[in-house]
Amino acid sequence: MNNDYELLWKRILGEIETEVSKGSFFTLFKTTRLLSIENSMVTIAAPSTMIIDLIQKKFYQVIKKVVDKYTGFDTKIIFVPKTIDIGTKNNNIKTPLFEDVVDKPVQVGHLPRVRADYTFQTLAVSSSNQLAYVAATAVAKKPGQSYNPLFIYGPVGVGKTHLSQAIANEIYKKTPSKKIIYITSEEFTNEVVEAIRNGDTSRMKNKFRNVNFLAIDDVQFFAGKERVQEELFHTFNILIDRGAQIILSSDRPPSEIRKIEKRLSSRFAGGLIVDIEPPDFELRAAIILIKAKKYNIDLPIEVAKKIAEKSQDARQLEGYLLRIITEAKTKNSQITDNLIYSSLNNYQDEKKIFHPDEIIKTVCNFYNIKPTQIKGPKRNASLVRARQITMFLLKKELNLSLAEIGNVLGGRDHTTVMHGLGKIEKLTSIESFSTELKNLTTHLKNY
Amino acid sequence: MRTSLLSEKLQEKLQLVNHAISNKNQLPILLNFLIKAQKGSLTISATDLEIGIKVEIPANTEENGETTVPAKTFLELINTIPAGKIILGTKKEGLELLGEKIKTIFQTVSSDEFPKLYEERGGEALTISKNIIKKDLPKIVFATSQDLTRPALSGVLIRNDPQKDEGLLMVATDGYRLSIKKYNSSGKDKIKESISVIIPGKVLRELILINKGNDEIKTYVSKEINQVVFFQNDTTLVGRLIEGEFPAFEKIIPQGFSVKTIFDKEDLERAVKACYIFARNAANIVKLSIQKDKMIASASTPSLGQNTIEIEAKTTGEENEIAFNCRYLLDFLSNIGEETLSFEMTGPLNPGVFKISGDDSFLHLIMPIRIQEET
Repeated sequence: MNNDYELLWKRILGEIETEVSKGSFFTLFKTTRLLSIENSMVTIAAPSTMIIDLIQKKFYQVIKKVVDKYTGFDTKIIFVPKTIDIGTKNNNIKTPLFEDVVDKPVQVGHLPRVRADYTFQTLAVSSSNQLAYVAATAVAKKPGQSYNPLFIYGPVGVGKTHLSQAIANEIYKKTPSKKIIYITSEEFTNEVVEAIRNGDTSRMKNKFRNVNFLAIDDVQFFAGKERVQEELFHTFNILIDRGAQIILSSDRPPSEIRKIEKRLSSRFAGGLIVDIEPPDFELRAAIILIKAKKYNIDLPIEVAKKIAEKSQDARQLEGYLLRIITEAKTKNSQITDNLIYSSLNNYQDEKKIFHPDEIIKTVCNFYNIKPTQIKGPKRNASLVRARQITMFLLKKELNLSLAEIGNVLGGRDHTTVMHGLGKIEKLTSIESFSTELKNLTTHLKNY
Repeated sequence: MRTSLLSEKLQEKLQLVNHAISNKNQLPILLNFLIKAQKGSLTISATDLEIGIKVEIPANTEENGETTVPAKTFLELINTIPAGKIILGTKKEGLELLGEKIKTIFQTVSSDEFPKLYEERGGEALTISKNIIKKDLPKIVFATSQDLTRPALSGVLIRNDPQKDEGLLMVATDGYRLSIKKYNSSGKDKIKESISVIIPGKVLRELILINKGNDEIKTYVSKEINQVVFFQNDTTLVGRLIEGEFPAFEKIIPQGFSVKTIFDKEDLERAVKACYIFARNAANIVKLSIQKDKMIASASTPSLGQNTIEIEAKTTGEENEIAFNCRYLLDFLSNIGEETLSFEMTGPLNPGVFKISGDDSFLHLIMPIRIQEET
């Protein structure tokens, strides 16, 4: 019934609005409500006697005319001074003072997008990542106060993500109530785009500008995205001003990220920039041991060393390790040299896509010559051999056409390439050459 | 109408009435003063429909009558004319003002358009001593909320319940802080009947301003028509009551404390003002650290710097720390006249309680800001 009155009064007001001046309508009618209709007696509530007095003096006839029209009666209208809650009807007063339950921060589960096992404890440290590690622990100890922002860069698989997530985990462990966001640059971009598309950026702004800790992974992907950069720029300033900690990671230093606005890249560089180098042999072995521990495998150090020889990339190491473990489990055997060997060899067969230049470079490194020489016109025996091997690898790894191979190697004719390939095919039957080729391939895989 | 009076009297009272003129008002008549001459007096009224103010000025009236004039113009002119006798009279063209060497005619609007401030004043609810209004009310009113979506918080609860064996009580809160003052029932404020009303902060702020007469202030409340009227001598203030339920404030007042410290109000005010410089860009957070013989106020903005200020204090209980919104502290301190204050707390997450040293009838509590400590 109440709702009916509300609706009816809305319509009546709509009509009255067209009859009276805007000022009168807003000051007098906006706050009125229809209370009841009984036997052609219409009761209307208004907040004060002063308002009622004015309405009765000036607009009684206007109201009566409209009300009569809608009700079909010859009505008599009475006014009572009463404030009816406008809009918000909830009498629940919820403010910090009158909150019954104090929300005690409880550590439940782990942070979204953050791997719980990426902590400082599971991170192997050696000279290649020592500086980054020290900086990260300092940041985790005093977020927002030591190095802000902390910019971590390095090639893939060196542990950038591990480090920034370890900081997030550490802060979360100590102060679960802090607002911590870990996000990849792609997700951040998506959020901004989404917000712009919905025409409501306030929610997104609210989300990112009220955090105590913000970690963004792979910021190099912001290149060329101007609107996103602008959003990041403002978020960045506000957060730094408020003393919130920011961690950024990228595959190259801020100065080398192209298509990033100057003002943004200079802010990236405003704190501490640390780089992580690819893990050295010892570190790789250590990483394998740590990872093995995670899978509850007691790995002999010899095995760890063997695996460490196979790859430079920590992520790949974990892949190898997993493969060996799975294989050992399925065959129900101990982890033996044999198992490692067969399993890793299988692994190598997986195709990796190279750039022709990468192959050329590897071959050049292997034979200690320059790429310009390989592409050049000279035909010394050693140069020709290297050139032919390159052709062979280009064919085998990339399956380029003869003409393409010729092109890549300084515009040679396809018949030259064909000849070269035939030469190498013949040579592969000789064992010394085949080991040489195998070695070269391993180098290439590790590229 | 035709009446004569002293311009300086008019000038003085007009300032008061002008408070009820809101330039934001879209209804032209509400930008006018209602001027009414009757035997022995001239009354001037104004209203913005939320509050209404009426003043009476002694005058020698030859002919009764009433009209309305544009408030701004009238006030500006009255402010410029020298003290002395003036004559106000209605003419065909409008309201004529005749002074010693001045003659002005104001455009008028018929007084029929002007709303009545009130019909009936209702029963007399209580008499509030003008000292209470002057000294205590400001300590309460500032804690009201400006947020109109929660009407009950925008007013002050005034309660007087003889049944409950308590005296007059005034309390206001905006949900983050709360001010409360209780009087003993044996006080000289005569209790007419039990009463419990929420009066808008705006009305009470006005009451503080008009409280200039010598007499006590009489309060008339009519709950049926939602109205409160205050009288003091020749001034009348009309407002409306807030309907709604006041939050259960008794429950949140802490019953004890783990540390209490006594300090000089000026000291803390100065310290907090200094901290504000470094707090205003960092969510207004000021940290108070209560230690043995001192209290330390500190604030920091990572990009600006930080400062700490020591305040002499006498502390009993264990040392502790608490953080507040600077604005709340300043609001409180600037509305307190007393020199020595005390602060009590139980923990950094529980409301902190300020009292006037040696006076248990008043307290102000503020919800702390939860801050993270780095270990």
